[in-house]
Formats: sequence, structure tokens, C-alpha cells
Amino acid sequence: MMQLDQWSGGLWPYAALVLFGFLPSEVWRMLSVFIGRRIDEASPLLEWVRAVSTALLAGVVANIILTPSGALASVPLFARLGAMAFGLGVYAITGKSVIGAVLAGEAAIIFFAWWFGG
Amino acid sequence: MSEPQPLTNKTDAAAPPISSWGWFGRGFRHAARLPMFVMALTFLGIGSLAHEANVSLGFALASTLLIWAGPAQVIFFGAVIQGLPLPAIALSVSLSSVRLLPMCVSLMPWLRRRDQGLGVALYTAHLIAVTGWVESIRRLPDMPEASRLPWFLGLVHGLVFAAAISTIAGYWLAAEVPREIAAGLLFVTPIYFTAALVRNVREPVDGMALAFGFALSPLLKPFVSAGFDLLAVGVIGGTAAFLGQRWLNARRAGGAL
Repeated sequence: MMQLDQWSGGLWPYAALVLFGFLPSEVWRMLSVFIGRRIDEASPLLEWVRAVSTALLAGVVANIILTPSGALASVPLFARLGAMAFGLGVYAITGKSVIGAVLAGEAAIIFFAWWFGG
Repeated sequence: MSEPQPLTNKTDAAAPPISSWGWFGRGFRHAARLPMFVMALTFLGIGSLAHEANVSLGFALASTLLIWAGPAQVIFFGAVIQGLPLPAIALSVSLSSVRLLPMCVSLMPWLRRRDQGLGVALYTAHLIAVTGWVESIRRLPDMPEASRLPWFLGLVHGLVFAAAISTIAGYWLAAEVPREIAAGLLFVTPIYFTAALVRNVREPVDGMALAFGFALSPLLKPFVSAGFDLLAVGVIGGTAAFLGQRWLNARRAGGAL
């Protein structure tokens, strides 16, 4: 079977990128152009698709927090959830500042990583 | 994000209307407030992963510009490092990018124009990824119709710019960072998206979709094969939230009688 790193120079790696990276990913966006053109702005279908997207993204976040990989896995679960709660707490008291949430959450997770790393 | 930038054209009749490039600039500046930094931190990791995968810098940069989906790139380079066969790589990449379908479908109606050519529509759709979606899905509907597309294009080109610079930086540095910093880099995505999703909550449906999605993820994982689990979380959680909102609406309407 062909491997990417065996493909010698030139434009071949880029052809592989287009065929095995770009197109498999882009096909969903292309499909959306044809579906999205038929949906009215006020359609309940649009509200449903937005809810699906929101739930999906929340699932992505839950995946990273509950079953992390790499260095994040060295921080215990309650500390990961704690850092998340701290970030959201700062979000709430700073008048919905997403920047505040990110900075606070980052400070907390870096502290926990240091605290539980020793 | 404590002071959201004005999104509606509030200028009085005397002031000149904002041009398309003016809206593009506002979108770009919105990206520069936080999302560009989030992108930069995320793509440092992707640049360094590309270096580890032993591809050229040009290839790494092209992967960011062409694939334009962080998780798909992580899967792509991870699979290249493992030496998986190319068709298997393509399948994993495609499965991870299914998430782009509902995101693009929910955003496209706000970005289309009557005389829009297919090329412009495909290019616009190409630029939609999770960060651009979460920053614009709740803003675009409140904006003047003519400003939506240029504002969005300014936003996402800001994101592309940050990601491209950061892919190069990550490729060059490709350094081992202290574990604390590595944990911090991996935490940027969850904390940013959670706060941005909470900010986007306008109606019960949004809060329910967020809560159901988070709760369903660990519940469904053992039962749905990898790759399809997120799709199941999205469809089941999103449908439940949508029906919940319908039920609330019906009850409200019933109570008013």
C-alpha cells in the first residue's frame, strides 16, 4: 500500500493531500451548498440543524474533557471539570466575557497540571 | 467579548453607510479580539504534528488552507505518522468532517445572495469551520442583510491568516513544551467553545442542545462505533432539544389561551 512519506518530492504529495485529505473533508461542505440553498431562513428545519450542530460541538468538548489525550490526561477528571467550571464562573461574573473565561480556565488548568504533576 | 462590537448599522442618516470592505474589516477585527488567538494556539500543535509526520512546510501549510478543519488535520497527520493506508486515512478524515455538514447547512442561508455564483458559494462554504460557525451563527441573523457575507468573510480570513502563520510557527518550533503548557494548549479548544456556546444561548433550545450534547457524549460512546459517535450525539441531542423547544412553545401558546 502506498504511504505518503514514500512519495518522492514534486507535486505528488499535494495530489495525495487533495485526494485523501481535502476532498474527503470538503465533500460535506459541497453538499451543504446544495442543501443550504433550498432552506428558508425562517424554516424550523434550520433551527433543528442549528440544534444538531450545537449538540455536536458540545459532544466534541465533552470528548476532550472526559477522555483527553496527551498532557491533558495527566490532570485528574475533577480538576479538568473544575478548571472548566472556574472559567465559566469568570464568564458569568465578568458580564459574559469569553476572553475572561478562556484566560481563567487556562490559568486553572496550567495550575492543576503543575500541582498534580509533582 | 465583554463589549460586543456593534453589529447593526446604527449610523444616522448623515453618516455614510458602511461599505462591504468596511464590514470585512469589522469581521476581521472581531476575529482579532480572541478567535484568532484561539486558532493560533490550536494550529501550533498542528504545525508541530505535521513536522513529526515528516512532510514539507509547504505541505503543512497547504493542509491548513485546503482541509481547513483542525480535527481532520490531526487525524490526517496522525494516520500518516502511523503509516495507515491512504484510503483508510481518507475515510477517517471524512468521518471527522461530517460535523461540517450541519454547521454549513445552518450557516449558508445567511451567507447566500440572490445572484451568487456557485464558485463564491463553494468558496464561502470552504471557509466554514467550527470557530467561524460558533462566532457567527448567532450574530449573522441580527445583522443587515448586505453586511453578513462581507463581515463573515472578514472574520474567517482573519482565522485563516492566524492559522496559517501558526502552522508555520508550529512546524519550525516543533519543540517539546513543558507538560503544563501542553495541557494548557489542549484545554484552549474545550474552554473556548464551551464559553462561546454558552454565549450563543438565546432560547431554551440552545441551552438544551448544549446540555444534551455534553451529557450524551459519554453515554453513547460505548454503544456507537468510533467516528459515528459524534454524529449520533449531534442528531439525538439536537433533535431532543428541538422537540423540547417545540413542546415549550406549545405549552406557552396553550397557557396564553
